[in-house]
Amino acid sequence: MEELNLIHETTQFIVIQLGEEQYGVDIKYIDNIVRMQHITRVPKVPEYLKGVINLRGEVIPVMSIRLKMDLPEDEITKDTRIIILKLEVHGMIGIVVDQVKEVVTLQNEQIEKVSYDGKDERINYIVGIGKYDGGLISLLDLNSVIVEREV
Amino acid sequence: MDVSQYLEIFLDETKEHLQSLNTQILNLEQEPEDMDTINEIFRAAHSLKGMAGTMGYKRMQALTHEMESAFTEVRSGTLKVKSNLIDVLFQSLDALEEYLENIQKNADEGTNDNEHLVKQLQDILANKPDEAEAPTAGPRAPEPEQEAAPEAEKQEKWMDINLGESESRVLAVAKKQGRNVYGLTVKVQETCLLKAARAFLVFKAVEDLGEIVVSQPPTQDIEDEKFDQTFNLVVISEYPLDKVIAAAENVSEIEQVSGGIMDIDTSVVEDAEEDDMDQQVSETVLALDNSTQKSSQGSSSQNERKSSKPVVNRTVRVDIEKLDVLMNLVSELIIAKNSLVSASSSEETNARNGVNEQIEYLESVTTNLHESVMKVRMVPIESVVNKFPRMIRDLSKKLNKKIELYMSGEETELDRTVVDEIGDPLMHLLRNAADHGLEETADRIRSGKSEIGSIFLDAFQDGNNVVIEVRDDGAGVDAEAVKKRAIERGIITADQGDNMTEKDIIDLLFHAGFSTAAKVSDVSGRGVGLDVVKSKIEALSGEVEVKSRRGEGSTWTIRLPLTLAIIQALMVTVGGEKYAISLGSIQTIEDITPEDIKFVQAKEVINLRGTVIPIIRMSEVLDIESKKAHNEDMVVVIVKKGDKMAGLIVDELMGQQEIVIKSLGKYISKCKFISGATILGDGEVALILDANALI
Repeated sequence: MEELNLIHETTQFIVIQLGEEQYGVDIKYIDNIVRMQHITRVPKVPEYLKGVINLRGEVIPVMSIRLKMDLPEDEITKDTRIIILKLEVHGMIGIVVDQVKEVVTLQNEQIEKVSYDGKDERINYIVGIGKYDGGLISLLDLNSVIVEREV
Repeated sequence: MDVSQYLEIFLDETKEHLQSLNTQILNLEQEPEDMDTINEIFRAAHSLKGMAGTMGYKRMQALTHEMESAFTEVRSGTLKVKSNLIDVLFQSLDALEEYLENIQKNADEGTNDNEHLVKQLQDILANKPDEAEAPTAGPRAPEPEQEAAPEAEKQEKWMDINLGESESRVLAVAKKQGRNVYGLTVKVQETCLLKAARAFLVFKAVEDLGEIVVSQPPTQDIEDEKFDQTFNLVVISEYPLDKVIAAAENVSEIEQVSGGIMDIDTSVVEDAEEDDMDQQVSETVLALDNSTQKSSQGSSSQNERKSSKPVVNRTVRVDIEKLDVLMNLVSELIIAKNSLVSASSSEETNARNGVNEQIEYLESVTTNLHESVMKVRMVPIESVVNKFPRMIRDLSKKLNKKIELYMSGEETELDRTVVDEIGDPLMHLLRNAADHGLEETADRIRSGKSEIGSIFLDAFQDGNNVVIEVRDDGAGVDAEAVKKRAIERGIITADQGDNMTEKDIIDLLFHAGFSTAAKVSDVSGRGVGLDVVKSKIEALSGEVEVKSRRGEGSTWTIRLPLTLAIIQALMVTVGGEKYAISLGSIQTIEDITPEDIKFVQAKEVINLRGTVIPIIRMSEVLDIESKKAHNEDMVVVIVKKGDKMAGLIVDELMGQQEIVIKSLGKYISKCKFISGATILGDGEVALILDANALI
């Protein structure tokens, strides 16, 4: 049935580290990965919006995924990176991650959909679980991560 | 023929022509006899017809054709301009605009034939008074409806050619030398798209066989397609008439060529016989010149006056995208310059002087470049305000009020993007003034005002801003009524209303969902309007204000920044963070001691040379700890918005800088008093404080 169509479909993900967990970001949304740099704070915005950075002459907003997911505040290390995403609706936006580990290619059957669970806030940001040699990665639903939480 | 590539030009030019028609017909309504205006209208209608034809928009062409025919009659004096004609013309213009809109949307003119307009125009033409038949002077007296004219009349056309003295002489000389002088009338097919080109081919064919001495209309007009369907030629040729006619008829899309031998009185050349051929040739040229002058003089004596009038200013159309690219380049150049500045200040080495020189050079280059690019982007607001007189005329009829619109400062220039956007808000304000602002005629008479209500639209430059004022001499805003309505609609509570100043109440007009007109008309009054005006103008980084005096009228003031992309700014620090404040909004900078701060109504103020100015501690607004101790002296940047002022307390001043405004993006747009960001020399991003939002 469906598998026939899907069998050769693969998606590439960038594996990132956030705290103890590994997450996957669909590579088609990624514009760029830059080192941590000075972020200019913008007043009167939600806490998870860290501010703006200058990316080759463009001003790009940067958000903290950790704060958005109610994880402890980012610790800036030499591995900290800003992943610049290019989304249709929101344009360019940067997310701060602890570490960028590798690129993996997942076949569709390696991806397990997760059912929506309203109770756990964090799971709302995840579209699926990817299984590969290195273990399990949670695949981020970027649009819901980026969208502002309704208060 | 694929004409899609010309569509854009067609749209632009058609808009221009329609605009000019609107303006001219308005003029005509005032002065029905003015030949300048009539000629102008004729020309615009004619160009429109030609362009619509070329592009294959048949319905548009048909309608403009009728308009043109009407003006052919008006021009020759056989048809008088009456109000019914003006009304039909205006309706036709609206119909044309509709076509144009359709074309703009889906490259198709739509299916509305507007038959009633065509018919009305034809009726007006048909009902013209009898004395119209009296022939008008001049060789170009237009023949009404050539297709319908009897054959005989057509054939005689070339015989009507008026010959100047020198032309007659040339012809007489030719005749004496035994050459034939023919008169030709060439009729181009009605469906022909490129009449001028066909005419040119006819000229060429005929010139192969002989010499064209006179053409009517003059060659220049023919080249410009300023002829209906026929033109006449006088030809000197050694070949038989048949051959000349056949050559001309060979050109495609030529419907008919008729001709005959001209009677030339050879007596005039008895004394000129000795002249050699060279002389003759030069005379021929002269003769042609003369004929050009003559016939244009003859056709309308006003043509000469016309030429002294400036032609509509010639504009270069620049693709706005190209301009944006140019603009971005300049932005980058400025960023590069800023990095040089910061590099030079961080190094204390000896190479410093050379760097400084470079910087100065770079600075002058970038400033010049900026200015010139800016100028390219600037267009006069004329293109927008031009349509208003017509709108007011229609409103005046619709509302049954006598309204006069006075405009000034149409030449004031603004950034193209702003000009494109400012039309709608201005239209809202004008409609508002006409509908709500001006009283009913009876009320005006009762309150001792002139019967005719005046609306003023003034534009002028004020420092770094352009101000556009819409003023009326109507009743002014009824603050009590506004308050009542606001309470009714639940916008404010009754208590709030009691505590509001009159100005605050009037400002409620900008609140969404508000309309005070007791009568809801289709002109205005559905409660959308003023809030839209406000948000639109704010989106352009401008502001709108209203002042009103009961019984004397209201003034709506729109203030817009001259340029949007690059500004001069004062850099300041607050709590270690860098911020930019637009120089345009800064009044002065003052040093004060903590003791200078007084409290009025629990708000901090300072008394600056007699003016009490509220102060705002930026560290509090920006949620950051000030790096200064409480007892230290403070730097206050005094900013103004209209006639309101405020003092912003900052930690330190860094200096003045030219900054490139970058948007913070859609994602962070919530922050009200941050109008954007800019990139500093060291690559860091600094936020731009919007002084207007702070006050």
